[in-house]
Amino acid sequence: MSNDAPPRYCDFCGLPLTASFAFGHPRSKAALEEYCCSGCQTVASVENSKQENGAAAHQLLRLGLAVFFTMNVMVFTMALWSQDIYAAEAFATPLASSLRGVFRWASLLFSAPVLFLLGGPIARGVWSALRRRAITTDLLILLGIAAAYGYSVVSVVRDAGHVYFEVGAMVLVFVSIGRWLEAKGKLQTGESLDALARLLPAKVQRLDDQGNFAETARKEVRTGDVLRVLPGERFPVDGVLVGGQALVDEHIVTGESRYTEKTDGDTVYSGSLNVDGDVRIEVTAADGNETVSRILNLVRQARREKGYHQRLADRIATWFVPAVCVIAIVAGWLQGQEHGLDRGIMTTLAVVLISCPCALGLATPMAVWTALGRAARSGVLFRSGLVMERLATVQYACFDKTGTLTTGKPSTGELVVSVGESRDYVRETAAHLAAGSTHGLSQAIVHFQRQEISDWRPSKDIAVESLPGRGLMAEVADVGPVVLGSRRLMDENRLHWLDDLQPNATEVEPSEHQVFIGWDGKVRGAFFFAEQLRPEAAEAFDACRQLNLDLRMLTGDEQQRAIAIGNRLEIPTVSQQLPEEKAATLQSLAQQGPVAMVGDGLNDAPALATADVGVALGCGADLSRDTAGVCLLADDLRGFPWAVGLARETLRVVKQNLFWAFAYNICGIALATTGRLNPIWAALAMAISSIMVVGNSLRLGRYPELGNHSEAEESSDKLRSTINQKTESSQPRLVTTAP
Amino acid sequence: MIELPLIFVGGLLGSAHCLGMCGPLAISLSAGAPAGSNQLQRQLVFSVGRIFTYGFCGAAAGFGGAWLSNESRTLVLSQAWLAILAGVLLLLMGLVTAGVLPRPTARLLGGLPCGAAVGLKTFLSAPGWLGALIAGVFTGFIPCGLVYAFLLKAGSTGDMWLGWLTMAVFGLGTVPLMVLVGYGGQFLSVVSRAKILHVAAWCIVLTGGISVARGVAQLNPPAEAVTADCPFCEAEGQGNSPGVATPGL
Repeated sequence: MSNDAPPRYCDFCGLPLTASFAFGHPRSKAALEEYCCSGCQTVASVENSKQENGAAAHQLLRLGLAVFFTMNVMVFTMALWSQDIYAAEAFATPLASSLRGVFRWASLLFSAPVLFLLGGPIARGVWSALRRRAITTDLLILLGIAAAYGYSVVSVVRDAGHVYFEVGAMVLVFVSIGRWLEAKGKLQTGESLDALARLLPAKVQRLDDQGNFAETARKEVRTGDVLRVLPGERFPVDGVLVGGQALVDEHIVTGESRYTEKTDGDTVYSGSLNVDGDVRIEVTAADGNETVSRILNLVRQARREKGYHQRLADRIATWFVPAVCVIAIVAGWLQGQEHGLDRGIMTTLAVVLISCPCALGLATPMAVWTALGRAARSGVLFRSGLVMERLATVQYACFDKTGTLTTGKPSTGELVVSVGESRDYVRETAAHLAAGSTHGLSQAIVHFQRQEISDWRPSKDIAVESLPGRGLMAEVADVGPVVLGSRRLMDENRLHWLDDLQPNATEVEPSEHQVFIGWDGKVRGAFFFAEQLRPEAAEAFDACRQLNLDLRMLTGDEQQRAIAIGNRLEIPTVSQQLPEEKAATLQSLAQQGPVAMVGDGLNDAPALATADVGVALGCGADLSRDTAGVCLLADDLRGFPWAVGLARETLRVVKQNLFWAFAYNICGIALATTGRLNPIWAALAMAISSIMVVGNSLRLGRYPELGNHSEAEESSDKLRSTINQKTESSQPRLVTTAP
Repeated sequence: MIELPLIFVGGLLGSAHCLGMCGPLAISLSAGAPAGSNQLQRQLVFSVGRIFTYGFCGAAAGFGGAWLSNESRTLVLSQAWLAILAGVLLLLMGLVTAGVLPRPTARLLGGLPCGAAVGLKTFLSAPGWLGALIAGVFTGFIPCGLVYAFLLKAGSTGDMWLGWLTMAVFGLGTVPLMVLVGYGGQFLSVVSRAKILHVAAWCIVLTGGISVARGVAQLNPPAEAVTADCPFCEAEGQGNSPGVATPGL
């Protein structure tokens, strides 16, 4: 099978079909149902037939009945073995000899139904693989079992030679039970995602043409419809509030543990919980496009990209099957030459059973998929399994400052305007420009303006140009080009500093932000904002240090402010970096080891894209920030070390799985080729091996949750008060010079 | 085997203890059954399934014992030692149940029966007798200290069919109470169950004592009886045991 071929997935568990040796091209591209193993096929038929009365039970009864018959076969076989132990007594009387014949016929009689009951599903799997032009080890297992049966039947009829009915029956039982448990386990990889999907109500109340709310299926809702959402219900789709107000729990989407108050015109996300209001929403994104569906789609997409380890396993599996066929046939032939045909058949069967590459094929996807689902449940989205593998290996973690280490919402600032300027006019002009940017400081200026004039709306006529790392520029009627941004931007535009705005005229706290505005040759005003360190930053950094990550701060901000924040967190800082300079710094760091860049994904997109792994914070509301490989839905820095921890645990599990699968196969094949391994033990080992890999991988689904909310909030409150005390004691507040 | 009646009584009265574990399964067999089905028949078939598994395990234990004594016959009298081990375990278990010895704190696989009820749900609620039979077959595999102790006893017989017989008799002993519980619901009070269990405990102690005595006797055989280490093997092993025709049920 070529690695370029589009990956195919099991129709039941959704895991990629194990790479297998293929010949020719499938005859038709008709949608054949494809399953990765007979377990999935059987469980799928049970799950699909749950609606039909008794059909599900029928499938399980087949398995149970087969176990019952096999136990009978074992009793007769043990009776035959007993005669071998007490050979002298067993052949002493004619009665004992004829009993022997009875036992042999009884074994044949009881093992035949097992072949029919359990061999059937395996045969169907083999047949569907053959129609895909793929040869699987199941084909060899089936042939081996058929050969064991055939040989035994001939022995019974001739009344000479060994019988191996118990081998055939036990192998079928172990393989079937193993596959069954495996399929059940595999389905659990998607459990976390299913839990997310189940959050959305299936029925909604939609406003119809007569003005009444009628119950409708969520899938039928279209953009523009008006829905009614009652207290205690989850919003079924994304929308805008058009009637009523409510407290909304958006934890699932934004990670915010406090309720948000929503009123007319506010956006609500699907999956978030309407706590107390009877509200109407106008649908902006219908089913399939709303937030929860987008999260699910992202995770499903992530599962489709194969990581390094999976590609390795695939490459091996491609030549593994033909190699095993050859080894099995050669070993069987050699043993057959030496010890007789029956021993040859047993050896071949043992080799194909022990070398079944189920565990190898499951090793990576099981672990990665479980981890992707687990991460999604905690609001951490990985773009692919590859990103997860990379995040596990990072040694350096760089953090953007504004919006990442700080809250991105500077505390209400002060405005200093030069003598003769209208304070209101300067503030409003700045707000018009700032409204065109999502940068934290811009938002703060807009917020500042709204504090003065609550119903203020930005002008739609002003086209704002963003100058990355410097500020904003726009053409404003009456005054001409206006710039809003850093001191550097003012100097670049050759704006004249009036005395009262001179850099040394104002006493500035090191961590304070200054944003200047100027037009027509002069700097007109300066905004001062105090940045607030994220309450959870210290805790997150402690966790990072426990993971032995080398931490840096990478910021476009001025040195003084950067160092002030850096000192508080005890990390080295690289300041005054333009976006392209950040990228260069990351590249040089990457030569020493893999680097992760953590940012808010808004103004640091190039850096996020350059780093080995880009991590975006708080992108719950905006999943389109795809420059980041990892998306933390919550605006919580602790999500980063948590994600690294999970990624490392996942990689550890993948390596354990691969090691186990390889070691098991190699040792098993070595033992089986010498003819020392009974096929029954080989079948048991095969089932146990797959179940161990599945079980080991599913452990990731129980990876501990990120912190306890109440505890975290308590500690963050403490941290916040310490920071505030520090700020208050450091320097006196700036006094505004009134115009 | 003079213990067989004792084993039967051990199973009969010991199943008062089983009611706690396997009882819920029997009850859900009745509760989950489709309307109009013959409850008594379902309960009996369920018990047949259990006895089948006990018999199978007993046969395997007996065969294992035979194989072990055959393999090690030149070294030790393993059959005798197995009898002593099984006897000591039965003694301990009986004395613990009777309240003479303190109850061990850790319980092996204590939570399993609850999980088993979920796993067996499909079989328990399936119409017809087949589901009940298969449910019984799997119920027989549920870990149970009493079953383990009697399995060791079965192993110590050193003969497949005797092992089968031991466990089948034990299983037969458990039938009456299980069927009654499944058929008629909770008819025994906790107090009466405790009393029955107390009697059962002493039956088990007695069985253990006989087993130990038998093992010790085999270790110090009278000179002329060295080869005939188990008088029943000869008689039963010839093929006239009731086990030959019945394991398939």
